[in-house]
Amino acid sequence: MYLDMHSHSVSSDDSRATVEQYVKWIQVLRKRGHQVDGIVLTEHRKFDFDKDYSALADQYNVLIIKGSELDTRYGHFLVYGVSQGLTRAIDFADTRMDARALMQAARQHDAIALPAHPGRFGIGLTDYIAQGETFEDVEIVERFNGGSRQGENERADELCESHNLLGIGGSDAHLTSHIGTCMTNFKAGIKNANDLVDALLSKEFQPVWLEDTLDGSSQA
Amino acid sequence: MPYYDEIELGDEIGPVEKVATDDDVVNFCDIWGAPKPNRFTDADTAAKSGMKGTIVPGIMTMAMMAQLLTDWGGPGSLKDLDLVFRQPVPHNRPLTMAATITDLREEDGQNLVECDILMTGTEGERYIGGKAIVALEGR
Amino acid sequence: MAMELEYDRSLYGVEHQAGPFEITDEIIDRANSSIGESGPAFSSDDGAKEAGYRGRIAPPTLCCILVRQVALPDVKVQFGKTQMHAGQRVEPKAPVYAGDQLTASSHLKDVYTKTGRSGTMVFVVWETTFSNQDGQVVAEVQESFARRE
Repeated sequence: MYLDMHSHSVSSDDSRATVEQYVKWIQVLRKRGHQVDGIVLTEHRKFDFDKDYSALADQYNVLIIKGSELDTRYGHFLVYGVSQGLTRAIDFADTRMDARALMQAARQHDAIALPAHPGRFGIGLTDYIAQGETFEDVEIVERFNGGSRQGENERADELCESHNLLGIGGSDAHLTSHIGTCMTNFKAGIKNANDLVDALLSKEFQPVWLEDTLDGSSQA
Repeated sequence: MPYYDEIELGDEIGPVEKVATDDDVVNFCDIWGAPKPNRFTDADTAAKSGMKGTIVPGIMTMAMMAQLLTDWGGPGSLKDLDLVFRQPVPHNRPLTMAATITDLREEDGQNLVECDILMTGTEGERYIGGKAIVALEGR
Repeated sequence: MAMELEYDRSLYGVEHQAGPFEITDEIIDRANSSIGESGPAFSSDDGAKEAGYRGRIAPPTLCCILVRQVALPDVKVQFGKTQMHAGQRVEPKAPVYAGDQLTASSHLKDVYTKTGRSGTMVFVVWETTFSNQDGQVVAEVQESFARRE
């Protein structure tokens, strides 16, 4: 199944799209022959415990999972499987947190934190590794990012190849029509955030572009 | 002008290509008497702010984006224009503006068309992104 | 702990008044000519009347230019050297006619920190309401500025 692993609704300061607009737009993509099964809302520097999108998910037949994108001193990290325990252990608003501590705390709380857009100039993991930092716990990175500038996804490709890392894909949508531009194709059926964490741990997934999901395209 | 009933999700407005020349920017900055020197009209000041050259003011790009919409929907059609300035916009370069319709709804007796709106460059630059709401007449 | 931002929090909840700003034909002419706007309603009384207005109207982002003339107080953010215009929103509420006298009322909406390609940034967000000589709200404008190191 195809999940967009990285998106921002109006709950993030710099997004202009509502969740309802995203799921309506997915109907447009489906009409055009694309397959989009679900999205993960990774709001900046927070987790929306109080938001419930289940009615929209049912109405539009789109899986909606909540996650987070946190600022760290080593770039942005996507977090899946966020719980009250994790938000007690880590200050989500702290833009100077150590990403290594975040990754460890995430695993202790049955969640996963992984680098977003690692090829992004100035703030991607690639740059921090070049500065001599090491990140033992990184096994998966966001290889395809829909918000990348020229050359940035290529840098993520090189990082995956040189460090033998797995890759996911996410649109990083901040506007309605950008949802689904890249996604992750999972072998497992996923129904909620816990399933998503398990599916990431299973390592059976690959990043895809929206064009790869057209009817008749090969599926993993 | 298009009628609300004719519009479908995914329809495009534009693209339209424009260039903001040095003269255009000087003219625009004079409207509010931008303190000089500034990064819009003076290359040294721009360089001090880390720019590669003089830039087009955000509010000028905003006027250009609004024009795309009022040319399409009529002079009083724009209800909301909400832009994020992502990269500095250069003078004398082709700027492409386009909008994609993402939502249609009737609210307070108005037919509202919501769209994503972008200004991009020829090398894949995404200068500006945002959303707009335009009100259209029904048939 | 998250970085504790230092700035003047006493500005919250305070409205800052500015104006009046006279909407002259010259201002509208100049705004039009700098972007190649020739829409009839923005160009002359006759063109506007044909479109159903009582007289020439200003293009819908004119208040975004006027807001530049509003002298906002210093938020005194103890961070960064350079300030960039990061975003702007306008919600036109009623036509602005040539000859109108507009007043502005502004307040600080938010100050927050984030990181991006150019490092740590502090965002400062202001909201301004423009009203005409009859007290009618003509536009709401929101601007955000990013301060970076």
